[in-house]
Order: sequence, then structure tokens, then C-alpha cells
Amino acid sequence: MMHKELLLQHSVWMTETDSPVVVSSRVRLARNLEAFPFPHVLSEEGAVQVEQLVSQVLTGIEGNIGLRYISLTELNNVEQQVLIEKHLISPGLGASTGARGVALAPDHRYAVMVNEEDHVRIQVLLPGHQLAETYRLATQLDDALEDKLDFAYRESQGYLTACPTNVGTGLRASVMVHLPGLVIMKQVQQVLGALTRLGLDVRGLYGEGSQASGHMFQVSNQITLGKSEEDILTHLEAVTGQIVEHELQARELLQVQTPRLLEDKVWRARGTLQNARLLSSEDAMHLLSYYRLGSDIGLLPKIQDCFASLMVDTRSGCLQYILDRELDPGQRDEERAKLVRSRTKQG
Amino acid sequence: MLCQHCQQREAIVHLSITENEKHREVYLCEPCAKQNQEIGFVFHPAIVPEFLKALFGFNPSLIKQPSEATCPKCGMTFSKITQVGKLGCSTCYETFETQLEPLLRRVHGGGQNMGKIPARRGIGIKSHRELGKLKEKLQLLIQEEVFEEAAVVRDQIRQLEPLKGENSHDA
Repeated sequence: MMHKELLLQHSVWMTETDSPVVVSSRVRLARNLEAFPFPHVLSEEGAVQVEQLVSQVLTGIEGNIGLRYISLTELNNVEQQVLIEKHLISPGLGASTGARGVALAPDHRYAVMVNEEDHVRIQVLLPGHQLAETYRLATQLDDALEDKLDFAYRESQGYLTACPTNVGTGLRASVMVHLPGLVIMKQVQQVLGALTRLGLDVRGLYGEGSQASGHMFQVSNQITLGKSEEDILTHLEAVTGQIVEHELQARELLQVQTPRLLEDKVWRARGTLQNARLLSSEDAMHLLSYYRLGSDIGLLPKIQDCFASLMVDTRSGCLQYILDRELDPGQRDEERAKLVRSRTKQG
Repeated sequence: MLCQHCQQREAIVHLSITENEKHREVYLCEPCAKQNQEIGFVFHPAIVPEFLKALFGFNPSLIKQPSEATCPKCGMTFSKITQVGKLGCSTCYETFETQLEPLLRRVHGGGQNMGKIPARRGIGIKSHRELGKLKEKLQLLIQEEVFEEAAVVRDQIRQLEPLKGENSHDA
């Protein structure tokens, strides 16, 4: 499989599920090789050695996971952008230099970054609300790697990571939630603001410092030391359940209190998406969010495509990659509108 | 409170001075504190990035070590760690254990590692953790005077104890 074929594969996390609020569940485990300094102080040669060692183990894992290693030095800017937009690598890995890369499963459920902030970052990303299964896959892959690699670990502090905020379990579990109801009802600050006091963190769609475009938010655990993986996941599960409940209540209230306004919002979004000749990236995210809301509450017919996949494919990197040519911002808006028109047909 | 020296600016530095068994309190603004030769006060406002200050509740005493220790494996010092917000290698956790402890407590709320133990390299650690749990259980059973069950737990402890070998601390 060529890079392009692998990168353009449908990412399994984008698959529609019956969960109307939780778009995807993600687990990340941070691990480091005991014998090497952490990536930010590692020499060029050291980074190459770590990359060789880890990528060999990753691609040699028995079983059916079929990981393929891609060195980031082999990718151009657009290809790196595609990986970021699909949530398969962090923006930090794209921005750094030197020997680094990612091992991908064909359906992208596994994405293991090498030489990011830590030597190894195992990511498992699945659709809908399934944190336990996501963790099960991640820890299984971790076991397979641990069989061949010596990870830095101390009894008192657990897995040792470059940043002390990840030490212990090295586990960052997160859910991506779609909260248009709470945003429209202006309750999102109130609901999500309380989460920091519960040891959870809220971010925008593309991680730290990013905007919550398309009414998408990522909620994750902050604490990684002093709790077991099960405790961390159970806590996040419980809080996610609460967020879902609040969002569904907000949607119900909107339907009761301002049904015409809501109907107008979602039908307008559909109209624009199906007819616009120019569409900015932010507009697309915003309108697709309303279309998704309309479709979730039965006001709009389903579309053939997955909303998450449309939201990602309309980002500038993916758009250029799909069309296989560089586009200036004006051309992008035109092509984006074209792509959305063709893919928002009724299902 | 106004600066005791210039009586103009807000005092932001509080000094507690004990000389010849006499104790006094001094409240100064930043410029006056800088100029105060009497106490040899040096002010370095930008010594640590905002990130770590906010994250760890920066405490200047942590980085003012008379002779700074260096990590034998990667050469990092604790000042450098607080500047970049990252440790240099796994050995740094051992080298700077004392300085890291309050930081980890602030970030994670205290507590020892309760997470996964690596299968291949953590056999000793696993039995060590199990042993700790059993000992706690034994104490509880003795307090509650459930002696029959306590005897069973005691035997389990005896069985595990020889396993607590040299691998019980670090993997």
C-alpha cells in the first residue's frame, strides 16, 4: 500500500454510530525507552536509533493489526497536514524535525507516534462512546511492545515521561463530543467549565489551544499518577454520560421552546451546504454541525456520508490531498463547496 | 499595603529578617526590593517560564540550590527542567526525586503509582504491590478480630515474601 492509499483510507473513528453526542473515543499511552534520553534532548543519531528500534518492533507485531510505519521525513507538508487533520499525529510531531514518524493500522484505529514528546505514543481511536474497548486495544498493543522493548518504569512513579504531567499511567483518555445544543442554549461554559474541578480537561477539536469549531470539544483526564487506568476511565465515562445527558436535554428544550428557530437553523445550514459555490473551512464546520444536529433529532434526512469524514475532508490539507493539487485559499473555498455539494446528498 | 521604603508603590515583597536575635518584618515594592543593599536581595522576575509557574505553583527555593545536581545520564539540571518543563531522561526522576515530589503532588494531587505494571519486567513489583495490599488487609482483620481469615492472609503473605526479590523497586 502506498502512503497515499494508506492516508486516504477511511478512518474507522469517523464511522457513524448510534451515539448522537460522543463522536469518538481515544486512548493514548506515553512510553519511553529506558536506554535513551527523552526526544527533546536526544541526539540526531539517538533519534534515528530509537526510530529504527521502535518501528521494527511495531511492524513485526504478530496478529492481525498490520501496522505500517511512515517516517515523517518522507512526507510533504500537505501529507503531514492530512495526518494532523485526521487526528493520527499531533501538530507537535508535524512541527518538529529529525527522525520521527507514525505507525498506522489500515483503518487507522492504531496510530503509534515515534519520537514525539515521548519515544512511543500509542494511540487507539474508535468511533462513538467506547472508552473501555479503546483502552483494551491500547494496552494489548502496549503489552506486545513491552515484550520486546525496555520501557522506563519505576515502582513509585510508574511509566516515566518527558513531561511530568503524563507520568504514572501515561494514559490520556479522551472523548470527542458534539455539543451544538449546549452552545446554542449558551450553557456550554457552565457545563464544561465545571470539568476542570473534576480533574478533567476540555479542549477544541485539534487539541491544546485550538478552537472548538463545529461545536466539537475534546474532554480528557488531567491526572495520570496515583490512580489506576480503570479509575481514570470510569471517571471519564461517568462524566461523559453526564455531558451527553445535558446535551440531549438542551436539544429537547430547543425543540420545545424555539422549534421554528431550530428548524430554520438546520434547514438553512442544509440549504447553504447543498447550494453554496464558495465555502470557507470554518463555515463548512459550522454548517455541517447544524446539519448533523438536524439529522440527529430527525428534522433533516440522513446523508449518505459520515459527518466526521466530511468535517475532516473539508479541511485544507485533506481537500488538497484528495484533489491531488495545491490550491490557493480562493480555489479551496470553491472546491470545498463542490465537494460538500456532492457529498451531502440524501441517504 | 504600601512599600515601607518609598511609601508610594504597593508592596509585593515580604521579608522576614532575624538579626542578633531581633526579628522584624519588611514590606517592599519591587524597585525598592531590587535596590535594597542591606539584605542583598536579588530579584529575577523572568527566571522560570509562565508555564511552569502556573502548572507547578513555582517556588523559587526549589531552584536556588547551592551546587546544582546534574543528571548523570543526560546532564540536565533542575533549573533547566523547570525552564523547559520537561525532564531529560528516566534517570532524572531518580536524580531529582526530592525536588519533583512537590511538583508531582501539585499536578496529580499526590499518591503513588497505582497504574499498570509491565508484564515482563514488573513481576517483582507486582508481588510487592500485592504484598502491601495483603498487609493492609491483615491489619484490618486483626483489628476486627477476624482471626481465622487473618491466618489465611498471613499465609498468603508468607508465600509472597520470598518473591519480593531485588526487582521489587525499579524495572
